[in-house]
Formats: sequence, structure tokens, C-alpha cells
Amino acid sequence: MQAIRKLPETDAVVNDGVEIKIENMSVRFSDRTGGGAIDALTNVSLDIRQGEFVSLVGPSGCGKTTLLRAIADLQEPTSGSITVRGQTPREIRLQKKFGIVFQNPVLYDWRTARRNVCMPMELMGIPKQQRTATVSEMLDMVNLQGFGFKYPHQLSGGMQQRVGIARALAIKPEILLMDEPFSALDEFTKEKLNEELLSIWSKAKKTIVFVTHNISESVFLSDRVVVLSPHPGRISAIVDITLPRPRHLAVKDTPEFSALVSKVRNSFEGV
Amino acid sequence: MKPVNWKKIFASSIWVTVAWVVGLIVVWEIGATIVAGVKRTPENVLPHLYQIIGSVFSTQKVNSSQTAIQLVLSNAWVTLARAGIGFMLGASIGFLLALLMSRFVAVEKMLFPYLMIIQMIPILGMAPIVLAITKNIDKSRIVIAAILTFYPVATNTLSGFKAVEKEKRELMYSYAASRFDIYRKLLIPYCIPYLFTGLKIAAPMAITASILVDTLQGGGGLGCMMSQSLKHAMTIYVFWQIVFLSAIIGILSYQLMVWLEKLVSPYPKELKNGGTGKAKELEA
Repeated sequence: MQAIRKLPETDAVVNDGVEIKIENMSVRFSDRTGGGAIDALTNVSLDIRQGEFVSLVGPSGCGKTTLLRAIADLQEPTSGSITVRGQTPREIRLQKKFGIVFQNPVLYDWRTARRNVCMPMELMGIPKQQRTATVSEMLDMVNLQGFGFKYPHQLSGGMQQRVGIARALAIKPEILLMDEPFSALDEFTKEKLNEELLSIWSKAKKTIVFVTHNISESVFLSDRVVVLSPHPGRISAIVDITLPRPRHLAVKDTPEFSALVSKVRNSFEGV
Repeated sequence: MKPVNWKKIFASSIWVTVAWVVGLIVVWEIGATIVAGVKRTPENVLPHLYQIIGSVFSTQKVNSSQTAIQLVLSNAWVTLARAGIGFMLGASIGFLLALLMSRFVAVEKMLFPYLMIIQMIPILGMAPIVLAITKNIDKSRIVIAAILTFYPVATNTLSGFKAVEKEKRELMYSYAASRFDIYRKLLIPYCIPYLFTGLKIAAPMAITASILVDTLQGGGGLGCMMSQSLKHAMTIYVFWQIVFLSAIIGILSYQLMVWLEKLVSPYPKELKNGGTGKAKELEA
């Protein structure tokens, strides 16, 4: 633990607080049917600071999920580079420093909520006693006390997604990558979970990269909103969200919020 | 007074079963009466049902030492033991093959078409070959049962491995899980219902095949007695007792798999009785 703790300090000096550095990255999918290749992302450069909440927002096909997957080492860039804390995404993944929340909760149906949250810790060989304590702590954090012994099919969509978030946070990752985690939920549940996510973030102080196609959601949550446009996928603007924190749903009724939403909306190109 | 809902009563599965059983008994008895009227053979080949049931309780010896039912049961044990060992052997091989094929695409490409060809060879053609190779009646029957078992088990288990959603695999990948852990915590629990689908198909098949191969060669077993009985070396009631017993064993073997699945499957039971803190959950 001591040795690991030392690393970020030296990194911070070298990278000036930059946690994820993406330089001139492109991802090109070759068409299997022999047609033209698709440029999912072209020449993307982006710096994400430590502890920052960054949203990637854009319409379908803009490459926002591809960008997230490239950071997570689930997608190989065709050219350019990504470094996370001065290392490759693969090295960071092997150190188990990523927590990923997918669009679907991706829970294992044969495990209870508790055992789903427990699963990554089992993989890391964390002793059982500690696992049990952490599971309870995480379920408290996502407000699922009393649902630990339910199976996924007995939980609502919102609850399932909260289990997914608890599972991602259980191994205390340095970076939380979220791929449209709330897009399948109804508006009420989504707003509630947005607020909860902010409170979790303020407690856990992780770097969060959050993919969404919902402009209002991205403005509400983020320090910065990265706007991506399709054909070819590229960054068309980065909007700083200056709204004060802690934020609550009421902030959505302010003119500042509406102005930022418009600013993000007007940043799209060629849609 | 509540009106009787005839539609509902007739739609229920109990009535379907009753209708089938009654229908079969009627057809059987008509057949038995007709055959009894013809009477070309020394013994009635299609006895009445009550005669068959009566023969089960008969104390008359059919050979030097056993009554009909004693003979049938002792041979049933021989057949069941062979089929059982073959089934377990075949199921293990099938599962291991599925593991190998899921792990190495090359193995799948290499093996899969040939596994299918093995299945296409008729058992009756395979039996003498297997006997010639093993040179032992017991071993050859075990091998035949194993050959019939491994294919449905292997294909069903493999399709289970392949049905695992991409995201579930990616989750494991993102945690840099070892291959062993991926199998232990994701792929194997996931494919258990698929494995049991295979086992449920294979269990009655292993028994039927075992009986069928018995009819070809000597060495005891239900099939062997069956063919002797048909050739009038023994009372015809032995034949019919075996027919009914085989059907019962086949159904029981299927039920055994259903029961076994309930026992080992990590999946929650139906929604109504799931999530009521079982021993497994205490682990977390």
C-alpha cells in the first residue's frame, strides 16, 4: 500500500494533476463487408484532471462510448496515445484501478445483490471478513440497505444499476468509468440517482468519466462537458460547468443552468 | 353456487394426462382382444393389461431360480449400472470437451464436425465395432452409453458458454480476472442450465441405447432378456414387464436430472420463494 501511495505524488508533479491524457487518438473500425472503414474517433485530444467529473456527451455514433472503452482498455486505439497516471490503460486495468458501470447493470443473475458487489473483491483475493464489511458499506452508500439478499430479478432497474455502482466502487478504484448508466431508467429514478451519484462522488473523490446522450444530465453532474459530434467522431467543444457545488436538483431551475444547457446544445456540429 | 368452469377443468394438464391414459388403455384392450381372437402363437403376444400386472406378482419361476419380476429386476440392475457408468463418463467427457472447445477455437473447429459424424453412425452399427475393440460386453455397453451421452452434453454446454453476454465477459476483463476465475465465477455458473438441458436429453437416451444394444448381443441386461422373451425362450410377460419398466426408468432418469439441477444450480428458484436468505448467500 505504501509503495502504491507514493506513485501518484510523483505523477502529479510530472503531469500537473492530469490523470488521463489522450493525445491525437483515432479509432477506425474496418468494415467487415468490404465497404469503407468507419472513423469512430479522429484526432481526439483531452486531458482529464484527478478528481474531476467529466461527461462525454453526444448523439449516437459520435464515438463517446468508444472513447470510454479506449480509456478502459476495452478498445485499442488505431493511432495516438492514452496515458493514465503516466501508464498505459492496460497497466492500469491490470492493477484493477478502473471501476466500470455499464449501460446495462450486468449483474450475475445467480448471485444476490451482496454477492454481486462482492465479486470483484473475490477476484482480488480480499479476505472474507473485509469483503463482508465493504459490501455493507457500499450498499449503504447506494441506499440499498435491506436489499442485499435479493436476486437481481427481484430488484427494479434503478436498484440493479445501484448494485452495479456499488460493485464498481467496492474495490476502491481510482477512476470510475460510466457508460450511459442511467439511460434505461425513467426520468424520476434518473434524477434521483444523479443526485446520489454526486453525493457518492463528493465522498469518494474519484475521477469520473461519464458517457451520456442527455445534455441536462451532463450539465448537472459535470465539472466539464466534452461535446462530441459524429461522422467522423470528434470533439467539437469542451464546456466548463461553473455551477456551484454541492448541486441539488433545484439548480436545474436556474437561468445559469439553462444557459449552460443551451451552450452545450449549440456546440454540436453536423447533427 | 359457483358455476363449474368446464373449460378450465378440461384445459388443466391433469385431464390431459387422464385422457391419454384412458385412451391408451382402451386402444390396448381392443388390440389385446383382437390378438387373443387370432391366437396363432403358443402364447398371446399382446396380453391384457391385468394379465401383465398379474404376472408381476406371479410366483411362478420362469427359469431355474427366478420369477418373472426377479429376472427383470436383476437384469435391470445390470443395464442400469452399465448405462449409469456410461452416462457419467459421457457427461464428464462432454463437459470437458465443451470447456476445451470454448477455450480454444481451433479445438472447436477441429472437433465439432467429427463429433457430429460420430452421432450419425447408427448405434446398432457401432455396437459390434465397439465390442470388437473392447472385447468385453460390460465395457462395450458402457462405451456406447458414453458415446450417446457426450454429444448432447457437449453441444448444449458449449452453446451455454457462447451465450454469455459480451458485457459480462468485459466486466471480468476490466477486473483483469484470471482465466480460471472467469470460468469459475462466470462461465461455469452461467452454463449450468445449458449443461442440464444436455443431461436431461442424454439420460433417457443412455438407458434406451443400452437396452437396444443388449438385444444384439448376449451377456445379460434388459434388452437381452427382451429378445429371448420375444423368441419364446421365455414367457412373453417378461417382455412386457421390461417394456413398462424401461419406460418408468427413462422417466425417472429424466426426473433425477431435474432434481439434481435443483440441488446444484446456483440460480435462484422461482420469484415467489427466491431471496429468502439461503446458506449460499451467507458467504457475501
